[in-house]
Amino acid sequence: MPRKFKIAVSGSDSDRAASQVHDIGLHLYRNDAGQMGFEVIVGGGLGRTPVIGKTVRKFLEPQELLSYLDAVLRVYNLNGRRDNKYKARIKILVNAVGIEAFTKMVEEEWQFTKGKDLRLPQAEIERVKGFFKAPDYLSVEHAQSSLETEFIAHPAFATWHKQNTRDHKQPGYRIVVVSLKNQLQAPGDISHQQMDGIAALADEFSFGELRSTHDQNLVLADIAQRDLFNLWLKLTDLGMGRANIGTLTDMINCPGLDFCSLANAETLILSRQINETFDDMNYQYDLGEIQLKISGCINACGHHHVGHIGILGVEKGGKQVYQFTLGGSASNDASLGKTLGRSIDQDQVVVVIGQILDVYVQQRETDETFLQTVQRIGFAPFKERVYGTHQRSAA
Amino acid sequence: MALIKDQQLSLNHVATPDIRFADWLDDDLIKGESVLTNGADDLTCLLANASKLDMIAIEFETFADGRGFSMARLLRREGYQGEIRAVGDVAMDRIEFMHRVGFNAFELRDDQNVNEALTKLSEMSVHFQPSADGKGPAYMA
Repeated sequence: MPRKFKIAVSGSDSDRAASQVHDIGLHLYRNDAGQMGFEVIVGGGLGRTPVIGKTVRKFLEPQELLSYLDAVLRVYNLNGRRDNKYKARIKILVNAVGIEAFTKMVEEEWQFTKGKDLRLPQAEIERVKGFFKAPDYLSVEHAQSSLETEFIAHPAFATWHKQNTRDHKQPGYRIVVVSLKNQLQAPGDISHQQMDGIAALADEFSFGELRSTHDQNLVLADIAQRDLFNLWLKLTDLGMGRANIGTLTDMINCPGLDFCSLANAETLILSRQINETFDDMNYQYDLGEIQLKISGCINACGHHHVGHIGILGVEKGGKQVYQFTLGGSASNDASLGKTLGRSIDQDQVVVVIGQILDVYVQQRETDETFLQTVQRIGFAPFKERVYGTHQRSAA
Repeated sequence: MALIKDQQLSLNHVATPDIRFADWLDDDLIKGESVLTNGADDLTCLLANASKLDMIAIEFETFADGRGFSMARLLRREGYQGEIRAVGDVAMDRIEFMHRVGFNAFELRDDQNVNEALTKLSEMSVHFQPSADGKGPAYMA
């Protein structure tokens, strides 16, 4: 194939796999007739040419998943550009020919493969499903706990429960998101002691399974309510109990110039400054859901294009400066952020973040999230606040 | 340069043609029965003319250009029975895949070992993916 290729699969109503910014995104869902199938999205991606993927097929029966993807890959292999590696990705092909023409090419190729060798027999689907059986859950009477006494005795536990745990389809259970975003470590970093510790907790409380997420956290997917308090105590001991999931400090951060040979600018210094400046958790809770994503170069490993606030480090004239984008999203309403204005000096980045947040706090309506406010009021108030009085930005 | 054809070392075979498909198409005077092609040629046109050819040599100019795989696969799918010869960057770790999509001859460089190539062609007995060789995935066996 012309170049690397990434497929993302989402099996939930809310897209947590950033599937619209992958070469292929697959959404498993149940259609109006009650059948399970895939919506197939092609040609998304970030990096130097950010693109939101487009739907190439609204509904694909699961048995034909492989035959259909085979057709997509063959069309890409034969028609993708070979002359320039930056233009060799499928997103460039889809944009060049248009999604209608691309869909037609895929459908034509698919006629040769559909219903043949690549059609998955139901027995094979069932066999593979057998590897994903539900764990041996406790009955609801044994698993559940109202946790009322613990909440009253330990308000910090109540806050963590609200911020870092999610509803579970199994009665009596919760999903726990373990924050790897404490004040002292780089976002997503974990020490060997913490790794040993969290592995033991997975064995003790979550059927030995630990998942990592693209936003640089960990998930313990099956925690009985009655175990939550003990788990929280142990996570806190490990320095992994910070109740900041979904908040400003739950940022995605690439390693930047400190560790990466491709980077043009430092990023870890920004996460340090952000943690030092915005250290009031009540302020973070009041701000609500904010996705801050930081990349140290144009390759966009920090997914800055799809951050509600995105920051891209660049090097200009020997100086590290940072471009801000606002209004991106990697969720169901995936969108690419737009550039706020000229680049900001490194020592002014936290000042500008504070200004952007001030505008939101002043302008938001009841229950309005940061992203909704940006979408409603547009960029002008943010530009006025950041550039109207702020004269120290780079040229 | 050694040639492996139909899973054995070939000692008596037609040399790899130096007539490129585009020239063959344009010039009636050089209507031979074998051509050299690569991913840059018009595949639809090649498929339309394949029945006039005894041998189609597909060149892998670089490792990163995998169009030759799709070309061989589509030639076989359209019923082409002649020789499909892999030339150029015929990497050892890809010979088996070339064979599976429809190549039946492989031109090796002098620094490539014939026995190693022959081993590559037969060492895998099960596959995940069906291909032009008619072998189904392991779960269908």
